[in-house]
Amino acid sequence: MRWILLLVALLANQLAFADETCMSPYMAKIKGQEDFVYVWTLGVEGVGDEQDKLVTVDVNPKSANYGKVVSSLSVGGRNEAHHTGLTDDRRFLWASSLDTSKIFIFDIHTDPAKPTLHKTISDFVAKSGGVVGPHTSYALPGRMMLTGLSNNRDHGGRTALVEYTNAGDYIVTHWMPTDDNLQGAVKSGQFADGYGYDVRALPRKNLMVTSSFTGWNNYMMNLGALMADAEAMKAFGNTVVVWDLHARQPKKILDVPGAPLELRCAWGESHNYCFTSTALTSKVWLIYEDDKGEWQAQDVGDIGDAAKIPLPVDISIAADDSRLWVNTWNDGMTRLYDISDPHNAKQIYSKKIGEQVNMVSQSWDGKRVYYTSSLLANWDKKEPAGPDLQYLKVYDFDGRELKQTLSIDFLAAKLGAPHQMRFGAYALYGEKTASR
Amino acid sequence: MSAISPRVALSAALLCFAAVASGAPAQVLDPGYGPLQYKPPAAGSYQLPPLGVAVDGKVLNDLGERLTLYDLFDDKLVLLGFIYTHCSDINGCPLASFVMKKVQGRLAEDTGLAQQVRLISLSFDPAQDTPAALVDYARHFRRPGSDWQFLTTASETELQPILDGYGQWRQREYDSDGELTGSMSHILRVFLIDRQHRIRNIYSSGFLDADTVVNDLRTLDIESRAETGS
Repeated sequence: MRWILLLVALLANQLAFADETCMSPYMAKIKGQEDFVYVWTLGVEGVGDEQDKLVTVDVNPKSANYGKVVSSLSVGGRNEAHHTGLTDDRRFLWASSLDTSKIFIFDIHTDPAKPTLHKTISDFVAKSGGVVGPHTSYALPGRMMLTGLSNNRDHGGRTALVEYTNAGDYIVTHWMPTDDNLQGAVKSGQFADGYGYDVRALPRKNLMVTSSFTGWNNYMMNLGALMADAEAMKAFGNTVVVWDLHARQPKKILDVPGAPLELRCAWGESHNYCFTSTALTSKVWLIYEDDKGEWQAQDVGDIGDAAKIPLPVDISIAADDSRLWVNTWNDGMTRLYDISDPHNAKQIYSKKIGEQVNMVSQSWDGKRVYYTSSLLANWDKKEPAGPDLQYLKVYDFDGRELKQTLSIDFLAAKLGAPHQMRFGAYALYGEKTASR
Repeated sequence: MSAISPRVALSAALLCFAAVASGAPAQVLDPGYGPLQYKPPAAGSYQLPPLGVAVDGKVLNDLGERLTLYDLFDDKLVLLGFIYTHCSDINGCPLASFVMKKVQGRLAEDTGLAQQVRLISLSFDPAQDTPAALVDYARHFRRPGSDWQFLTTASETELQPILDGYGQWRQREYDSDGELTGSMSHILRVFLIDRQHRIRNIYSSGFLDADTVVNDLRTLDIESRAETGS
């Protein structure tokens, strides 16, 4: 009898599971509709208190506060707020900053509607042995894997992965392999640049994969000046590195020219591949395991007209691995690709979201798609002013087209420039929405 | 490959069948129930940097005896898993007990390593998981003569500092009427602890399998032999 009850409980659990699609594969799950979106927002001179802040927006249509900013928590100063990541138990949100290298850890479980600042890590550079610009915070069991973008010796692109415990204590640094020190990795092409950007894992394949962008010298430079500086434009990453996840050892360096940025791994049990997009060469790339068990990289699709520099930025994979959203920042477009054949990504839909568009997040069922606008403080457009410049926009997606349901002008609301989004829900913490 | 225990296999099979029949996606069993899909790194070829102190705490064993965790850590390499016996998430506590049973089997084939290792399952539901309940639970997993302790605590008051120390969050679940279901939301955590009472690895769903755990135990054994010159 007890096992019949267990079966019923198991069914109830699995039917209710839902989650966004770009998190650690074994992270705690949201059940159903997300209640909040947490937006890590850059402070902008002349806008509100001018400080970086975590903005919480109520996005549950059944809530009395639907569509409203229910919390805005400033952290003091501007730090080049950028990416965020949730711990594996989803109780804390780590928000990093590329200029000051500070990491702000927010408690989002005590009151999901009103996050509090739990801890600030201010000695990341010293503790890590010189890593600068913490970017991705990726949950592993009981710890966070952070990617760096730069270093304190020359502020170029050579960098490392840095591990912390969930409590915020430094564990270890893993430098990216370079021509000078391949660390046992196989250099499969022309490049071993040692650059970093994003990290993802496929634990069932013992795979960790990293991508590569550029260093502090470039990402803190004015975009116009950067584009006009031929030498600076050479200092972008051209590699994806495949690692032994358990041993934290680099195994193979793959050529992926033109700054491969966000990485998203497939969810299917037998789908041994991940996608990335290249900012400078405007391509969709597939990182996949071939028939011989070797990891390879393949250009599988074009993103707009590369000559016009659409600048692909964030990507988001559907839970069934059939679709991939790709944002191009410069033209403000979101593009949907059919990736049911992962070796042949075909664009099937596009829509202009704003004057610029960076991040995209979708609900687990893909029916709600969220967008924000900001890329980097010194790269963001300043005009034309209006609701399409710095925003959070939410759309319903019926499988064919996007229909806008919500929009917040972050400049008019005196908040700043919105960057990465993460979802929150009361249900994660055993509470009903109505109980609040 | 070890077989999934009859109970787990039966439940999983019924679940998959029922899910397909209902048109719902089938429950995906954690990879830890099956064979590894990769060749694991060799024991001793990698580092397991310390992740902090494995805290002490007051516990009860399945005989009802009052002990401390440090009494039980002794001078052993310890695999400590948090469970509750009513856990209904097939990829949660049942996975922990399944994998620890497989580890127990591997240790039976390596008596040298087995003498240095202690398995501990600690309940975070002291109200239901009495010492007697643990005896009933343990008989499905523990081999006679195996060094596998099943522990609980005398009260929530004695349990909470342990959960805080290990970062083992749990939350009682409520149904749509606001009534307690008896289930607890939690994230599976199993800890590898060295002889200096330091946490050396943390496993959760997706990362917990017997091959990895045994390799990690051997890695710590190799490390301690190198340190002592033995």
